[in-house]
Amino acid sequence: MKILSGIPAAPGLVIGRAHVVRPVPAVDVHARHAGSSEQEKERLEQAIARAVARLDTLRGKANGATAEILVAQREMLDDPELKQGAYELIDTGLAAEAAVTRVAAGYAEQLASLPDAYLAERAEDVREAGRNIVAELRGVSSTVRLEQPAILVARDLAPAETVELDGGLLLGVITAEGSATGHLAIVAQGLDIPAVVGVAGVLKQIEEGTEVIVDGERGMITIAPDAASKAEAEAAIATAQRDRQDLESYRERPGVTADGVRIEVFANIASLAEARKAVEMGAEGVGLFRTELLAAQGLPSEEEQYEIYREVATVLGRPLVVRTFDIGGDKTVPGLDIPPEGNPFLGWRGIRLALDRSQELFLPQVRALLRVSVDHDIRVMLPMVVLPAEVEQARALIEQAKRDLERDGYRAGHVSLGIMVETPAAALTLDRFRGLIDFASIGTNDLVQYTYAVDRTNARVKERAQPLGDAILRLVERVGQTDMPVAVCGQLAGESEAIPLLVGLGVRRLSVAPARVPAVKRLLAGMTLAEMQAKAREALG
Amino acid sequence: MSDTLEQVVVLGSKSGLHARPAAIFVQKAKEFRSAVTLSKGGKTANARSILSVLSLGGEQGDSVLLKVSGEDAWTAMDALVNLLEKDLG
Repeated sequence: MKILSGIPAAPGLVIGRAHVVRPVPAVDVHARHAGSSEQEKERLEQAIARAVARLDTLRGKANGATAEILVAQREMLDDPELKQGAYELIDTGLAAEAAVTRVAAGYAEQLASLPDAYLAERAEDVREAGRNIVAELRGVSSTVRLEQPAILVARDLAPAETVELDGGLLLGVITAEGSATGHLAIVAQGLDIPAVVGVAGVLKQIEEGTEVIVDGERGMITIAPDAASKAEAEAAIATAQRDRQDLESYRERPGVTADGVRIEVFANIASLAEARKAVEMGAEGVGLFRTELLAAQGLPSEEEQYEIYREVATVLGRPLVVRTFDIGGDKTVPGLDIPPEGNPFLGWRGIRLALDRSQELFLPQVRALLRVSVDHDIRVMLPMVVLPAEVEQARALIEQAKRDLERDGYRAGHVSLGIMVETPAAALTLDRFRGLIDFASIGTNDLVQYTYAVDRTNARVKERAQPLGDAILRLVERVGQTDMPVAVCGQLAGESEAIPLLVGLGVRRLSVAPARVPAVKRLLAGMTLAEMQAKAREALG
Repeated sequence: MSDTLEQVVVLGSKSGLHARPAAIFVQKAKEFRSAVTLSKGGKTANARSILSVLSLGGEQGDSVLLKVSGEDAWTAMDALVNLLEKDLG
């Protein structure tokens, strides 16, 4: 048994047999060609064409990050300067293999000498392009293919070499070179398999078919493990798997405490893709749809918004809380002329801007939502509310939008109306909104910022803001005492220390990142309401 | 009739001229018949060659000199300036 350490590149633990990819024999950079220079150039030209064609085929199968890297790789193979440089060396008598390897090495050195670390890493891509062309000149493929489940052990893996690997046979990856931010790490993370890179000398230590344990968490590999280490790893794998399955089983369950009190677990989304993710993770609804991100390229028209909201609502098939455009502050919109302000977070943002410029902002959005609400459960949530008068004005505009729609021959449904509680003003006077709103949702990020008067992006002061400090807990308690459904849709809603306190203080809906939904449900199921209330009382002191 | 145009452009991509933006730029440059070069800090790169473009080591905010020469110089210049100024990631 031998334990080696490297750089953890993708988490996970796995036991399997090694498939070792030995590097191809080195190129003799002094080798000379026997025929004419013209023939040798022709050989090179054809090899490049084959390498490009091979890469194009791979690119069709690749996805995401890999496909992007391959675009650059293709350009490198097909590079006119690379070819020209090699031609010049062929004219001096060098063989095509030697010529292309030398030119690629020259560019690699230039890139490696750049101060930019990312570009310096591309040096390896250039050498790889050279190797691919050499492989074609020699008539061998450089693609790795697995016949049975295996842990791949290699010097390093180039993007092109990893494409054919996502067939379910790849259990883990160990490389002698590479970095934690390299391409292989990204691919392994995407495939959800453990990877340890930069294990110096690993190729000399592992034989084909040797049993190996890959611990991608700690960056350790165990070669030919003894019975005890193997049993230990197997137990750890089983535990991790049980935990995953256990978590999985919470996806489709409703959110309830251990004693059966219903706490809805919703998701926060900003796009259709996230809506799909929310459904997949078992969210019971969407508690915050951040619509301002739809306006990143300029305000969408009523019709465009109608299409997006309808599509999101259809994908969800469950309640959808849409926050009207929260523009201003740090979020600007191209084409929307908002004068610069000395204090944008205390300025013309959220509902203030939306109401003052209702023709451009509030009305088209509300019209789109009213139209979608004919067939779907749509709830409208207003951001940055501080006064009941703002809600009164919003309600009047919604009624006006309904009348206008009917006049224009559209059907308008019913939307319930709520507010974000993200200022101390709203939290302390929520009872004054009774009769005006159907629900309230605490936006903890802004509430913390406005309560402690701390800009959370300012490193000098951000420590002073305490998301679970007395001030916030007292405000949440106050909000929880209002006889109105209360949700939390900020970051706190997904945090394990915060959840018992929030629920203990009366919050009955948590809206979290889609991926957090199962974990939040599991956490809720592990405690009774009485226990959470006790925790909250203790925290309040 | 063939024109030679020059323009100084400030690189807009967050990552500067990293692999992806460089690949997009080179692919665009190949669409035109004009010869295109990019210069920075005394080094000049053939815009059709990703290797020489990467070797410039361009970073966001760097000024580069774009030189286009050929019959479609005007359209090429337009398209390429646009691309360099944009944030391609």
